[in-house]
Amino acid sequence: MADVAGVAVSADVAARIANSIGPAFEGFAPVAGTLPFDLEPATFSVVQAAKPSK
Amino acid sequence: MITEPASLSLTEVAQAIAQKRCSSREATQSCLDAIARWQPRLNAFMAIEAEAALVAADAADAAQANGGRCGALHGVPLAHKDMYYDAGRVVTCGSRIRRDFVATTTATALQRLKDAGSIRLGSLQMAEFAYGPTGHNAHYGAVHNPFGLDHITGGSSSGSGAAVAARLTFAALGSDTGGSIRMPAHFCGVTGLKTTVGRVSRAGAMPLSQSLDTVGPLARSAEDCALLLGLLAGADPQDPTAIAGPVPDYLAASHESMRGMTVGIPATFYVDDLDFEVARILDATVAVLKREGATIVQVELPDQRQLTAACQLVLAVEAAAFHKRWMIERPQDYGPQVLMRLQNGLAIPGVSYLEAMRWRGPALAAHLDAVVGIDAVIAPVAPTAAPTIAESDVGNGPDAEAVIQRLTRFTRPINYLGLPSLAIPAGFTGNGLPVGMQLIGRSFDEAALLRIGAAFQRATDFHRRMPEFV
Repeated sequence: MADVAGVAVSADVAARIANSIGPAFEGFAPVAGTLPFDLEPATFSVVQAAKPSK
Repeated sequence: MITEPASLSLTEVAQAIAQKRCSSREATQSCLDAIARWQPRLNAFMAIEAEAALVAADAADAAQANGGRCGALHGVPLAHKDMYYDAGRVVTCGSRIRRDFVATTTATALQRLKDAGSIRLGSLQMAEFAYGPTGHNAHYGAVHNPFGLDHITGGSSSGSGAAVAARLTFAALGSDTGGSIRMPAHFCGVTGLKTTVGRVSRAGAMPLSQSLDTVGPLARSAEDCALLLGLLAGADPQDPTAIAGPVPDYLAASHESMRGMTVGIPATFYVDDLDFEVARILDATVAVLKREGATIVQVELPDQRQLTAACQLVLAVEAAAFHKRWMIERPQDYGPQVLMRLQNGLAIPGVSYLEAMRWRGPALAAHLDAVVGIDAVIAPVAPTAAPTIAESDVGNGPDAEAVIQRLTRFTRPINYLGLPSLAIPAGFTGNGLPVGMQLIGRSFDEAALLRIGAAFQRATDFHRRMPEFV
């Protein structure tokens, strides 16, 4: 048995997890590690609330 | 005298009751008759509360006879996805774990529809914990598509899609975290509105992902969705993420023409690898938009594959966090596919999750820059019409996540960006299955989508087609 984030899972499940989420990491790879230092999640709300330009 | 009230739209039946051309009892009985016919074939309802609904209908009629009316939906019978808490009632969330869970509060969205005078027909089936895009449910069985009983409805608002399509309820609340309103709307031939994150309170709605969850309606037309959004939207002290400020007049917007509106067609991604019938219907839809006065332009959107990946990271982690206690204490009570998908979230590092959350602002800004001057982007909801229940029953097999991700690839980028999107019936395949298109808008600009969608529906009849009971 393996332990993932405090939940016991079998080796089969651990392998299946790796298979399932691998593509998400690959898809996000061009972004990961490139974000500026001062960027925080709340920026989303700021952008969302900005008046649209047309 | 209206012979079959259940065949009316929400706005039509609400007017008919207000004008006493139809009683609430007649409307409710008409829905109950349709439910009795269809439910054995569709499995759309989780619970049917016929007697209580008729009692409530009689009370609504009596109140109206005495001069009392309590809102825009006075006496209109509705049923909703079984994840909206309703104090004193069982809310299963489509799960075994919550099979006997009795809510102690009422969801704000549900309360607002009650305050408008609607009455309850029962509750609607859904994917377990709203975590599945097909309409399968390991505990309560798959919901069947009224336009092809061997085909899926889409999920997770599976019962909402099927029940609205078969005219069992005039409208239904759904929820959309990765496509769960738009997928059933597309596969079942109904209109579904995924709202902007923050537009509608989520208080009392079962959570799946606090960053991505949205509440919205499935109904028979864009006009019906406009009526409902006007009732649902607005600030809520129970949900600080619901934005304050005036609620636009969505119903008025839905009555405007689309002349002067600009619609963008993506140059890539949403037009790639489409089933030929979906591609044909996309072209035909664009032709109608143009004929009705919209300006059509091509739009270059940022890389949507990165958005879908970021969406998967955020959704998987947040869902796993909500469910972790039950994953430790009651793993055997989950369906295999839902447990598998929840386990995925455990293995995503905190840094990856936070990077995906931090990128959300710049990603939205890049999208909004790309659509300057455009009121809506048109795109398919999915690359195909509804697959069969058998072929999409992938359980927790090694390819299950890949199948799910392919099916939802056109919906998840929109959830990540928190944007509104209106799914509208746009055509049918050669074998009679519905195909929908989504109109993707700017943040909090649902009015533009409802305006374009309703104008499209005045020029077409796809949303009026009813499945045959054979």
